[in-house]
Amino acid sequence: MQDSLILLVVLPLLLAFLLPVIARYLGNLSGLTGSLLLLFNILLLANAWNSVGYSPKVILLGGFAAPLGIVFYIDKLNMLFAILTTIIALLLWPCRTHNTDVREYVLWLLLLAGCYGVILSGDLFNIYVFYELLAVASYGLVTLPATGASYIAGFRYLMISALGSAFALLGIALIYSFTGSVNIAHLAQIIPDHLHHIWGYSAALLLIIGFGVKAELFPVNFWVAEVYSHADKRVTALLAGVVSKIAVLIILRFIILLFPWQDIFNFLLLLGIIGVIVGEFAAFYAQDLLRLLAFSSIAQSGLVIIAFACATEAGIMAGIALAIHHLLLKPALFLLASHCDRSINDLAGLAKSSPWASALFVILALSLLGVPPLPGFWAKLLLLQSLMAEQYLLLLVLVLLATIVEAAYLFRLFMLFYQRQEMPEQKRITIQGQELYPVITLSGILLLGLFFLPLFMDSLREIAMQTSNIEAYINTVLGKVQHIGEGNI
Amino acid sequence: MSGQHIFLELILMPLLAFMIGLFLVLMMRKVRARIERRVGPPFLQPLWDIIKLYVKKMQISHGVIHDLGIIMLLGGYITAEVFLPVPGMSGFTSQGDIITLIYLMMVPSLGLALGVGQCANPNGSIGISRALTAMLAYDIPFIVVIAGACLYYGTTDLTEIIALQKSQQWGLLSMPILALAGLIAIHAMLGKEPFEIYVAPAEIATGPMVEMSGKYLGSLFVMQCLQIYTITVLYTSLFLGGGYTWFDFIPKLFLVALLPVMITVIFPRYKTDDVLRWLWKWPTGLALLGLAIVVLQG
Amino acid sequence: MSVLDLDHVFFLLIVNIGIAVLWGNRPFVGKILTLLYILEGLSILTSYHVLLSGAVLSSSLTFTVMQQTVQWQLGVSGGFFALITFMAAGLATWFSSGVWARSYAPIRLLHSYMALNVAAMLLLLASNDFLGLFIAWELVSLVSFLIIAINGGRSAKAAYSYILYAFLGAMAILLALIIIWNATNSFSYVEVRHHWSTMSVNRQLIVVLLLITGFGIKMAILPFHRWQAPAYAYVPAPVAAFLGAISSRMGLFALFIVLLQVVGIDVIQTLWLPFEIINMQTFLLWLAALTLIIPTFIALRQTDARLLLAWHGIGQGGFMLLGILSANALGTAGGIMHVFNHASYQAALFFAVFSVSYRTGTADLDRLGGLVTRMPISFTVMLVGIIGLAGLPPMNGFVSKWLIYKALLDEGMPLLFLAAVIGTLGTILSVYKLIHNTFLGQLRLEHENIKEVPWSMSIPMMILASIVFITGYFPGLLLESIAAMQSTLGISVVDYHLGGVNTGKGNLNMIVVVSTMLMAIGMGALIFFVLGNPRKQVTQWDNYAGGHFLTSDMRYQYSHNFYPGLMRVISPLYRNTIFWLESAIVSTVQFMAHISYALFMQANYLLYLILLVVISLLWVLAV
Repeated sequence: MQDSLILLVVLPLLLAFLLPVIARYLGNLSGLTGSLLLLFNILLLANAWNSVGYSPKVILLGGFAAPLGIVFYIDKLNMLFAILTTIIALLLWPCRTHNTDVREYVLWLLLLAGCYGVILSGDLFNIYVFYELLAVASYGLVTLPATGASYIAGFRYLMISALGSAFALLGIALIYSFTGSVNIAHLAQIIPDHLHHIWGYSAALLLIIGFGVKAELFPVNFWVAEVYSHADKRVTALLAGVVSKIAVLIILRFIILLFPWQDIFNFLLLLGIIGVIVGEFAAFYAQDLLRLLAFSSIAQSGLVIIAFACATEAGIMAGIALAIHHLLLKPALFLLASHCDRSINDLAGLAKSSPWASALFVILALSLLGVPPLPGFWAKLLLLQSLMAEQYLLLLVLVLLATIVEAAYLFRLFMLFYQRQEMPEQKRITIQGQELYPVITLSGILLLGLFFLPLFMDSLREIAMQTSNIEAYINTVLGKVQHIGEGNI
Repeated sequence: MSGQHIFLELILMPLLAFMIGLFLVLMMRKVRARIERRVGPPFLQPLWDIIKLYVKKMQISHGVIHDLGIIMLLGGYITAEVFLPVPGMSGFTSQGDIITLIYLMMVPSLGLALGVGQCANPNGSIGISRALTAMLAYDIPFIVVIAGACLYYGTTDLTEIIALQKSQQWGLLSMPILALAGLIAIHAMLGKEPFEIYVAPAEIATGPMVEMSGKYLGSLFVMQCLQIYTITVLYTSLFLGGGYTWFDFIPKLFLVALLPVMITVIFPRYKTDDVLRWLWKWPTGLALLGLAIVVLQG
Repeated sequence: MSVLDLDHVFFLLIVNIGIAVLWGNRPFVGKILTLLYILEGLSILTSYHVLLSGAVLSSSLTFTVMQQTVQWQLGVSGGFFALITFMAAGLATWFSSGVWARSYAPIRLLHSYMALNVAAMLLLLASNDFLGLFIAWELVSLVSFLIIAINGGRSAKAAYSYILYAFLGAMAILLALIIIWNATNSFSYVEVRHHWSTMSVNRQLIVVLLLITGFGIKMAILPFHRWQAPAYAYVPAPVAAFLGAISSRMGLFALFIVLLQVVGIDVIQTLWLPFEIINMQTFLLWLAALTLIIPTFIALRQTDARLLLAWHGIGQGGFMLLGILSANALGTAGGIMHVFNHASYQAALFFAVFSVSYRTGTADLDRLGGLVTRMPISFTVMLVGIIGLAGLPPMNGFVSKWLIYKALLDEGMPLLFLAAVIGTLGTILSVYKLIHNTFLGQLRLEHENIKEVPWSMSIPMMILASIVFITGYFPGLLLESIAAMQSTLGISVVDYHLGGVNTGKGNLNMIVVVSTMLMAIGMGALIFFVLGNPRKQVTQWDNYAGGHFLTSDMRYQYSHNFYPGLMRVISPLYRNTIFWLESAIVSTVQFMAHISYALFMQANYLLYLILLVVISLLWVLAV
């Protein structure tokens, strides 16, 4: 049954190749095929979710056993992210916008295939390949508006991504040269003990920085503001919401399984907190709404990374909660902001022209800020608890202070929205129509989820437990008997 | 205590206070005159002054609050008298302690201030502004003195304070520095030179009294009697062991009132700033020193 | 009455919010809302005897998360504060229900925000553990922000600075909660108290300081006092009265519960600040004393009546804290009682000031005067209010202040007693200026035809004024609940009777004091009116000017810089340190923000990054 999950990756790829042909016959309707595909994926995942149960599963591709063969690893965490990716993608699917180019569908499908692949793959090289697929598709998507600014943003994005990919590849090469394997489960047996020296650290850093590009990790995230403010808003929403979280997921796997060293954790904590602080400060200074959201997204990713870098069960739980929260919330915020690509001062009196949208924006932003009893608060509470459990008091204080900066710019924004000042007609911004459906769905999920909070907490704890169980991962992939090549070093 | 007895005290205590106050005023005027080598007023002059003012034909009221202020002023002091123990009569002292008394003594000031305010004369308002500033100035050392005394006696009940002094020794002997600071504070409280900036006749036409004519001024005279009485009784109760009988009580009051009057004549007037600075420096410093001694002893 | 009494109140509150949101613009709605508030107050009052016996009113509002059951139930402390809240909200809505509403366009917002505020406050008052407390706390902050920002412009600016301070406070509380959770693994008051000593002494110290900061910001303790006065002053009348009366007391309530019930005053007494310089309790008491003195003397300098009152509100908050932290039955009683007293006279004073500005269009103390003949009811209310605020007998402010003075003297803290009296003296000076510049002195020509405010506005004021007087006359009415509060918290209980307290070392019986005063004032009136010649009333403009001929258009009101002598002496002490500090922080944040933004906007960022990588690679290779 689980083997059918391969279809998650295969079908989008297949459809991506067929779509130009289909489009010839179906015209604009061809977009629907993508939606149908995503719906099918949801069904597939829902079906598989039940069968995964408490123990993770593995899919062997091509019939070869790990560590030689290619494996897809399926546990609750992967499934959860796959489901969320699908849901968000379905909501953001561009077919509702008129006269969409078929190439856009193709790129979306490729991006999704990449996402699924990255989520599910159980070896470094496949992760890298799918990551590249995802990256290439996103270059295309970013430059879709075909404006000068989007080209420049796309170029910056391309350059930094290329650097990141090179790093990642270098890291994988290093690891391979030392261990002769790229299978994560296999490596998890070897690296923590046998590669605990400068080359292991180098590989870890290269991999983290390499994948950190998409994860909006601190020094390699300068593309974020430009890309998010100039790309199509659906693409932005997808990149900010889903892709960045998938990259963080990869980093989580790395630090749990491959590099469980305190130095690496500390390094990530440092990058994370710098990301939070710099992100919030930059957002405080930002003069247009999209940039502001982009910077806040950087800060939020920093929070997720801090949580994961605690590397405890509580930390992982907090990180997942934060990631899910941000994954649901940021797309909604970006969509709400999609018409507001001008100075925030033009937003004065927005509440008058679009009262519901601004109210929704405020509620979502409050959740982002972590105001109880909104969902963001609980995620933040988990993060703070896990930080405290590790006695990272300084980090705790910095996170809280950054929240005050966040409050400063968000409330400035709210006050602009509700300023009782008439804007001239041509400057008036309204939010309407198609953006509202996904936004309402997303915020509906978020806010209704609040009523299932205890349930949700329990399942999160379960997922975190499963994720932090290294033994289980190794045993699932390699089976109990196989310890091939342990003495390769 | 029977209701009749209480009622009697309620009438008698203010009345006695007024009478003794008249004599205190007389003494002050006499002493002052003697120092200035004048003869001074005759025996009943303070009373005649009041009566004269009450029966004057011209009684100008500036409005209801003007009258109300005067009533509040009289009422405040009359209330205060009932909470001040005198030999043979303790009034309601057990129902309101020295803190209550201090705050009751501020009610007349507020009454006066309201009445003067209604008169709408800037000179009056300036006088009140200065009077309230002076109150801030002298109340700080005074409060330190009260705090020290209460801390020393371990109670804020005036009858108990007096009883303690009778059984042990006078506050004057056990807390000499506080007693000295208290004396300076009550000097300022009485509004005698050099602390009489708020009446300043040559400058603001006697300040609060500027629009007071007839029985308004007469009531102020009554208030002056009650004020001197209240302050001297309070000081006597705190530091001179109260009174065993009226025969030693009244001389004590006169003594307390005499000391400020003896020295007041030789002073010119301080500016408001200087009143504040001087009172916050010397008596406050002394009082704090006395307080420190009390705390360290205790 | 059923056990789930609180559900009725919550239901009524939801109805309240609904009505306000849906029909807030209708003319009759203010009256309905007033009735609802009264009904809510009554529904607590009818089961008040249950609270007094130490039981709680529970609600069905509950949820479980992280193995913590969060539920809302109202104890006697919460009930006491809730009654004040309903009193303030009801009278404020009454005030705005009649003619006033016609002069205020966003009346629907006002009603809705007020209802939201009351609901959030009730949630806070009924919270029963740290998690519930924090949730309600944030809600209160948000809805306060809404109601403060209601007028836009200046008030929005003040609201913005409020919300930043509030977030600072919330973060401090959150940090404290996390530290507590880490040590005790619980958010419940009982558990935390039980496991309190598992925390190291340093942690305890940090937690107490954080809680003080967090909850103290709401009541604007030093050095976080700058936000409150503008926030409470530039709002419409009912809002100002409501906020001034009760809003910032939520911080006091939280501190009262947390410090006295959870942490325990005995713990605070044994905690020492680093290097054993000062005891935690002493430190907090002095903080409270400074919070009393400094804002009071800032109030003294104000020329806007609303700001003056708002600054006094902060100062009186210091008074309450002084009482609560005194670890003395009288002191805690005084502190809590002062909450009620302050609520009553502060609301009355705000009403009076706003009545004046409703009629004259200004609250500037330099542009008023002589209105007593035109607005006698407002004057009377203000008179009662200022006597209460100044803490003079016979009003209720005196009783609570007396309790606090007495507690401080009994505990052997003469300097704190002195500080409290200095605060009171400053208040007397300041409130006299308020009433003098508004109602006394010269009537301005343009105010000649001013009328008293309509009944819908003056009746709530009069009700408040009579509450101020009655609770001053019979303080035992309040002391009953306070004694019950003290016994539920397990601290020493005040020995009270209807007229006041007995301590054995100095008593207070307000029934006697006030009766004597009334009688004495009767005597004074008798002396004044019966004796002597009858008086003749002259017009308000008939004045003596030392030889000059005075006309009514000549302005001779003595109002600006009312205490010049005092100011010459103490003005060097106003250093605006906090203002300076605040702007320094703002500039730092802006600077950092600019730097961070510039970092992201670097054109050659990638180049620098590659350089960095190459250098570090070289370094790795070299190693």
